[in-house]
Amino acid sequence: MRRTRQTSEARAGAGFALPAFLLILVLLLAPLAALLALSVTDYRLGALTVRLVGLDHYAALFGDEVFQRSLRNTFLYVALVLPGAVFGGLGVALLVHARTRTRGFYEVAYFLPVTATLVAMATVWQFMLHPSLGPVSALLAWLGFGQVDLLNDPSLALGTLALIGLWQVIGFNMVLFLAGLSAIPRELYEAAALDGARFGPDRFLRVTWPMLGPTTMFVTITSTITAFKVFDTVVVLTRGGPLGSTETLLYVLYLEGFQYFRTGYAAAMTVVLLVFLVLLSILQARVIERKVHYA
Amino acid sequence: MRRRRILPALLSHAVLAAGAAVMLAPFLWMLLTSIRPAEEVFGAVFNPIPGRFAAPENYARALTEGNLPRAMLNGAIVCLGILAVQLLVAIPAAYALAKLRFRGRGVLFGLVLFGLCVPIQVPALPLYLALAQTDLLDSYFALMAPFFLTVFGMFLFRQFFRAYPDEVLDAARLDGMGEFEIVWRLAAPAAVPAIAAFSVFSVVAHWNDLYWPLIVVTSSELATPPLGILAFRDTESGGNYGALMAGAALVTAPLILAFLVARRAFLRGITMTGLR
Amino acid sequence: MFTRRTTLLAGAAVLAAPAIPRAQAPVTLDVLFANPSFARFFNPIAEAFTRANPDVRIAFRQPAPSYDDQHQALLRGALTNQLPDVTFPGFNRLPELARTLAPRNQILDLAPLIAEEGAAWKGENFADRMLALGQVDGKQYGMPFNASSPIAYYNPELVARAGGNPDAFPTSWDAVVALGGRIKAAAPQAMGVSYYINSFDSDWLWQALIQQGGGRMLNEAGNAPAFGDAAGRAAITLARRFVTESGMGLIGADQNRQQFATGGTGIIFDSPARLNVITGLVGGRFPLRTAPYPITDQARGGVPTGGNAAVILTRDAARRAAAWRYVKFSAGPEAQTIAVQMTGYLPTNKRATAEQFLGNWYRENPNAQAAARQADRSLPWEDYGANGPRIHRMQQEVLTAVMRGDIAPEPGLERMVSQTAQMMRG
Repeated sequence: MRRTRQTSEARAGAGFALPAFLLILVLLLAPLAALLALSVTDYRLGALTVRLVGLDHYAALFGDEVFQRSLRNTFLYVALVLPGAVFGGLGVALLVHARTRTRGFYEVAYFLPVTATLVAMATVWQFMLHPSLGPVSALLAWLGFGQVDLLNDPSLALGTLALIGLWQVIGFNMVLFLAGLSAIPRELYEAAALDGARFGPDRFLRVTWPMLGPTTMFVTITSTITAFKVFDTVVVLTRGGPLGSTETLLYVLYLEGFQYFRTGYAAAMTVVLLVFLVLLSILQARVIERKVHYA
Repeated sequence: MRRRRILPALLSHAVLAAGAAVMLAPFLWMLLTSIRPAEEVFGAVFNPIPGRFAAPENYARALTEGNLPRAMLNGAIVCLGILAVQLLVAIPAAYALAKLRFRGRGVLFGLVLFGLCVPIQVPALPLYLALAQTDLLDSYFALMAPFFLTVFGMFLFRQFFRAYPDEVLDAARLDGMGEFEIVWRLAAPAAVPAIAAFSVFSVVAHWNDLYWPLIVVTSSELATPPLGILAFRDTESGGNYGALMAGAALVTAPLILAFLVARRAFLRGITMTGLR
Repeated sequence: MFTRRTTLLAGAAVLAAPAIPRAQAPVTLDVLFANPSFARFFNPIAEAFTRANPDVRIAFRQPAPSYDDQHQALLRGALTNQLPDVTFPGFNRLPELARTLAPRNQILDLAPLIAEEGAAWKGENFADRMLALGQVDGKQYGMPFNASSPIAYYNPELVARAGGNPDAFPTSWDAVVALGGRIKAAAPQAMGVSYYINSFDSDWLWQALIQQGGGRMLNEAGNAPAFGDAAGRAAITLARRFVTESGMGLIGADQNRQQFATGGTGIIFDSPARLNVITGLVGGRFPLRTAPYPITDQARGGVPTGGNAAVILTRDAARRAAAWRYVKFSAGPEAQTIAVQMTGYLPTNKRATAEQFLGNWYRENPNAQAAARQADRSLPWEDYGANGPRIHRMQQEVLTAVMRGDIAPEPGLERMVSQTAQMMRG
């Protein structure tokens, strides 16, 4: 009885997993294998001949300043976005959670940027941040910052993109945190109150923060990945400029593969990117395993 | 006691309202621009009432000059097609990952976590070449195929099913229900909130995707909403602000409606996935 | 309008399809153009064409967002046999496209078709200089369709406030820079001149600054940079002077047009193809004026020609014949009239400026004349080959650094030249 149960379970499990396995194979692993193969050739899109170049591309990557700059920019961008994405999302969720009648309005307001169509939003941002016409610049000047050019000053542009990235992701994270908050049993707060934790900060530190631990982890990881993949805003707002200050990894990859048609080189770059992604996913798997113990 | 309650409430309203203003400001400009003529576009913030009310002509241009209505229909077809396959594949797989022991489970979960990190730009070129080889480019299928796989969905549903009580499953098995029946008659209906949550994420992402449609679509009959909007924003003209913003408003509206409809189920859904 | 050859072909098609007697086999041409907003003249031209040629229908593909996107789509299409029948690539991308497609036999040399129309037809419709823009390696792969060279747009009110004469725009760059400086002094919130090569989406405006001084980007053989000379030094020094002397700020290209349209900039330089758009944005704020691009070297100086050429890619004989009719029509006076009126582009057809086509329109739209007045200054938009887009990015970065003052102009130019040479090699 036990044995048949196990085999039928195994059979059903394999059956259910099969389509997913096939899709992963066709849509993820096979393309990656193709890229790996391309990365040792000098293939250019549209070319009639292909030559093997071995590991030349990989060697070139180490001397490629644009690539290395894009790595630095990407990590800087992640570092800029992450704290705001996590703590901003948490803060908004805490405040919205405490509201009753206005909760719906705030939820929609903060979620709206998630639905934005970037093609059109780019135009909006270009205008909002215009150094002499835009309302943001006018506000900054009124606050006494002088004339600030958020998109065209090389020392500010990446930070501006990070703020826009934050604008896009905070609503998403707010929703995740709201969910986490509503799942905290009321009794825990009552118990904490009996222990003397009656006021906001106390309750937060004793109950909310520990109970939200796994959510925070999840949000941190997904936000890291989202930030690491930054691409759209770069394409539509700065095209990597000024002075390459907003060239990110995916954008450089796109330039090499789709603008310069150096397909082989782009493939090598992708493989290096994949190494980072694998590291990220291992880190993620670890964290999630830890989370299993919590639950 | 009373004062203590009012003051924090006021403070939290002030903070939330300020934040909401930042969140909404770009949308406000979008709406204000969509109702004014070209020469008044840049005064919108400081002078919200347009001198000449140009909403009818802007919205008419957005709807007639490009192919926006068709693009929105295509967007609906593509989003629903993607969603249907995603759910059909991800729900059983996630159920298996969460509740069934079978060979390859660890590998599958590892691949799911790995897939979470891979952006579409990475497999794009090989996928494009494969679609070309099979003569499938420029079709609804080409628009949808790369997204049939949703590792995010599989992960989300797995978390949900893990929280589903084993006792209920065992009881169902004793009643003679097969695993297939359990998935679709027990687990999936219980997962409706999670499905609603996932659906919003999925539809929002693919409705607004520009990158992939730009590569695979050549005929304008297959344009998706962002491609439809591009007609009003390109490097050679770049000045059709009124119609561009009217188009953007039209394209965003269905998503906001969808969010409003799904909001309740959506929040409940995420809670129940155990993503605490 | 029918040529002997197409009539013959159509006749053959009728014979081959006896089931539908008398009906010419209808052909649908698959056409790709770049810049979605161009639909506003591509569509009416296609309608006019089909009225004159009921047996040919034009089906436009989803337009590419830019010339670069179009180029990518065409290269991908070449690889996967998804090429359109006719396309309109940008002049700067035409050589690279032709050199990729020609070995694959995926692009048609139009010279024999032009010859078949007769020397008289060719002579009365096209200037040799214009046709040359569509030639690559001695073959006529493209039929020039839209042409443009940079012009000055200026705000006469700001010019007048600065003590300048709005009716006499400066014809030398020193005078432009000086006027810009006076505008900046008279209206400190404004930019005097904005010459936005730091954010322009191609190297077109930068090439203009070199070519007007008699310089060229490339040597005669086209295999090495040639702008490290006096003309190059003058151009890059000028680029820095716009910032130091004319109050230019380094902002985005769209932002520049917005600022100009709201009266915040005295003078900008841009494509005449944007005339209608900029006119619309300016509205009634000020009476927009345009002027020809100043040329320093009257003997050798010129301006690079932007725009696009019609190219036939189909290999099917019947479609080629239909495609040639369409291309010929597009480059004809009637179609050119539509395209020019909708944008501000230069006509590529000599007859289009005649009284029954554009004559009256030019009188009523004096701002469109600036481009026409410098038509005989047109030079090719030079192309660096396969690494062109990469070279443009590098040059733009160095130019930005020079204009910001991070690098002095001369070392900046040296760096651009040496890196360009290096990237052209591989």
